[in-house]
Formats: sequence, C-alpha cells, structure tokens
Amino acid sequence: MPTSVDYSGYFQQMLGGVSITVQMLLWSFVISLAIGTVFGILRTGASGVVQIPLTIYISIMTGVPSLLILFIIYYGGSGVLTALLGYDRSFDVSPFSSGVAAIAMVNAAYVCDLVHGAIRNLPKGQFEACTVLGLPRFHAWRLILLPQVFRLALPGLVNIWIIILKETSLVSLVGLSDLVTVAKTAGGATSEPFVFLIVASFFYIAMSTLTVPLANRLERRLNRGQTPVGA
Amino acid sequence: MHFDLSLAIASLPALFHGLMMTICLSIFVLLLGIVFSVPMALARMSKRRSLAWPALVFVIFFRGTPVLVLLYILYFGIAQFAWVRESFFWPLFADPFGCAVIGLALNHVAYMTDVVRGSLLSVPRGIAEASLALGIPERKVFLWVRLPLALRYGIRAYQNEVVGFIKGTAIVSVVTINDLTAVANGIFQETYDPLTPMITAAVMYWIVVNLVRLGFAGLDRWLNRHHAPEPASRTRTRKAAVA
Repeated sequence: MPTSVDYSGYFQQMLGGVSITVQMLLWSFVISLAIGTVFGILRTGASGVVQIPLTIYISIMTGVPSLLILFIIYYGGSGVLTALLGYDRSFDVSPFSSGVAAIAMVNAAYVCDLVHGAIRNLPKGQFEACTVLGLPRFHAWRLILLPQVFRLALPGLVNIWIIILKETSLVSLVGLSDLVTVAKTAGGATSEPFVFLIVASFFYIAMSTLTVPLANRLERRLNRGQTPVGA
Repeated sequence: MHFDLSLAIASLPALFHGLMMTICLSIFVLLLGIVFSVPMALARMSKRRSLAWPALVFVIFFRGTPVLVLLYILYFGIAQFAWVRESFFWPLFADPFGCAVIGLALNHVAYMTDVVRGSLLSVPRGIAEASLALGIPERKVFLWVRLPLALRYGIRAYQNEVVGFIKGTAIVSVVTINDLTAVANGIFQETYDPLTPMITAAVMYWIVVNLVRLGFAGLDRWLNRHHAPEPASRTRTRKAAVA
C-alpha cells in the first residue's frame, strides 16, 4: 500500500497538466472570440459572397462533433498544409496547436451566432448616430457598438468559456499531456485511478464554479451606466 | 492528400454500423434523460432542502466534469473498489456499453435538469394560479397545464441539448465502443488515410444532426400551431365575409 508521500510526484505532474489545460483554454477562447466577433460583424452585412461561405462554415462547425474535427486537423492537417503550401517543406501539426485550432474553429461558430444575435438586438439608432456623426466604421465598432454587443452577449460567452474548458479534455486523445492524460497515467501507475480522476474532475468543477463570480463582476462593469434611476 | 471516393464508398457499410451504434446509444440515453430529468428538476426546485441540495450537488458535479473524465471514472476508476465489483450492479459497469450509457446519461440528466427547471420557471405564474383558483387539483395543474406549456417554452433549449449531446457521443470510443468515430478511426489506422473516413463520418454526423434539427423545427411548429400566421387565402375569405 503506497503512502501519501509517494503521490506527491504525481500531484506535481498534475499541476503541469493543469497548466497545459489552462493554456489551451486561454488560447482557444481568445482566438474563438476574435474570429467569432469578426464573423458576427460580417454576418450582419448583406453581401452573398460573404454570407454563403459563413453559413456553410457555421453549419459544419455546429453539426460535426468537435472530436472528429480535432482528429481531422491533427491527422489530416499536415498533409493538407503540405499540399497547400508546397511539397518541398513538411509541416508538423502539434497536438497543442491542432487542439487550439479545432476548439477555436468550432467555438468561433457559436460566438459568431451569439455576436450576430447581440448586434441585431442593438437599437437601430446606435448605428444611425454613428453614421450621422461621421465616425469611421472601424471606430464606430470599436468605441460604440462592440462594447454594447459584449454586454448583451456576456452570458452566452461565459457559457462558451465553460464549454471550452471542458472541451480541452479532448486533446488528451491526440496525445497532449493535459490534466486528463496525467490523471489517467498516474491512476494506471498507482492502480488508484479513482483518486486521480476525481481530483481532475474537481479541478474542472472548481474552474467553472469560479467563473461565476468573475463573470458577475465583469457583468457589473459592462453594465455600468445601465442602472435605471432609483434602482 | 485527397478525398478517396472509392475508399469512402467501400467503407460505407462499416461506417453505417458505427452510426447505428451512435444512434442506439443516443436514443437510450435520451429516453433516460426524459424519464429522470423531470423528477430531478422538481427535486432541484423543491422547498425541502433535503431534496434541493442533493439535486444541486448532482447538477454541479455532473455538469462540471467533462464527459471524458466521467467515462474514465466509471470505466477505470470505480473498478478498483472491491465492493463495486462484488455488487449487484457490477455487470452494468463491467460492460463498455453500460458504462457509456451511465456516463452520458449522468451528464445529460444534469443538463436536462436545468433545461426542465428553466422551462417550468418560464411558465407564467398567473396561469397556474388561475387553474388552482378554478379548483383543479395541484397534481393535474402540473400535469396538464404547467408541463405542456413548459414543453413549448423549453423546446429550443432541449433541441440544443440533444444536438450537443449527439455530438458529445463521439467520445465513447475511449471505453472501446465501436461508434461512428471509432469506426472512422479504425479505417484510418488500416489505410493510413485520415481524411477520407473521417470526412465521410463527419458528413454522416452532419446529416443526423440536421435531421434532428428539422424534426425539432417541425415539432416546434406543431406545438405553436395556434401562433402560426393564417394562410393567405383563408385570410382573404374572412375579410370578404367581414366586409
């Protein structure tokens, strides 16, 4: 029967796994937020040249399992890149980058839907006022419209953040040593898989629970100036 | 690197076999979700703490844990305890299909608890109060007034959960279930061609997901048929009648 001292090494490895999981989470979220916001803005335009590919993209990303998209990028990605960019170089797709790419691509589609919905819920006068004041479009979006969009889209974005946190666990299936991989290996080595897996699940629960107060603070900040008089 | 059409056609029977597994598993778990989520939601909304707290802990734990970790816990984790192996339920946990169903169902029911709760809460209070005032027993008000209305309010959220859940089943290959993703992966390992089997499988998932979406759109129209705009011809005859 191993003592608790023997486990300390494994728990240190798990901290390393946590760091990889958190890095995956941050990269995937930031990239999906950026791409999703741009797509959401493009989606409000009327031009079919942009709308049709965007509709196809969103339909694929919301209709196919993330795991399969991850597999396609990880196993098929280097071949596609080589074919696209020339056979004289070879491209290695790392588990980390393909994981970030897959999760970001899938969730960008969901962010796009959210942002698009939020833009449509903005009062029309906001757009008209920007035009009347002669604000360049970039500044209008950056200073006037997007801050309001993010206020409206915040609850959905918090949801996506939690979904991405859990989706990062998929990268353990293409060989990245994230928290789940480490917990599984440590469980196998000590024949105490339950303990390590439960610790891992508590990390995910703690992370998503911690999100709630942080999201509330962010919401208060984004809602400043929105409080009705007398409330 | 290209899409090999002849390989895609050759692997269709195997992929269909995997698809059947995915669909069977999904239907099984979705039925469990329907059966267990209403009592769980009622427990979660109960004023009695002895009911509400365990339901809340259930939801937080099984919603917060990734399904992958949940499957590992069920498949590898609890087998280490002798009392589980000696228990009556062991055949269920020893079987990959049983593990997959239990793992997916725990996650799905946790999500569904909140879907059902949200739908029940969105039914206007006045309707239930009016029914009670009319002397309809509380049980019947719940069954014939609140639940049907909640179904109508919750259908969108339910559709999202069902679609998300079907896509989530792709992970069950980790407990050695031969679902669509596992079959595609197997063909890749035999042929060293990752794109063809996986893109074919992706197309199959896409079709299933969109059939589900179409079905829900039809159900939604049917449930809200009293809101549907009247057909143009009928409107015209009515106007004529009024004039």
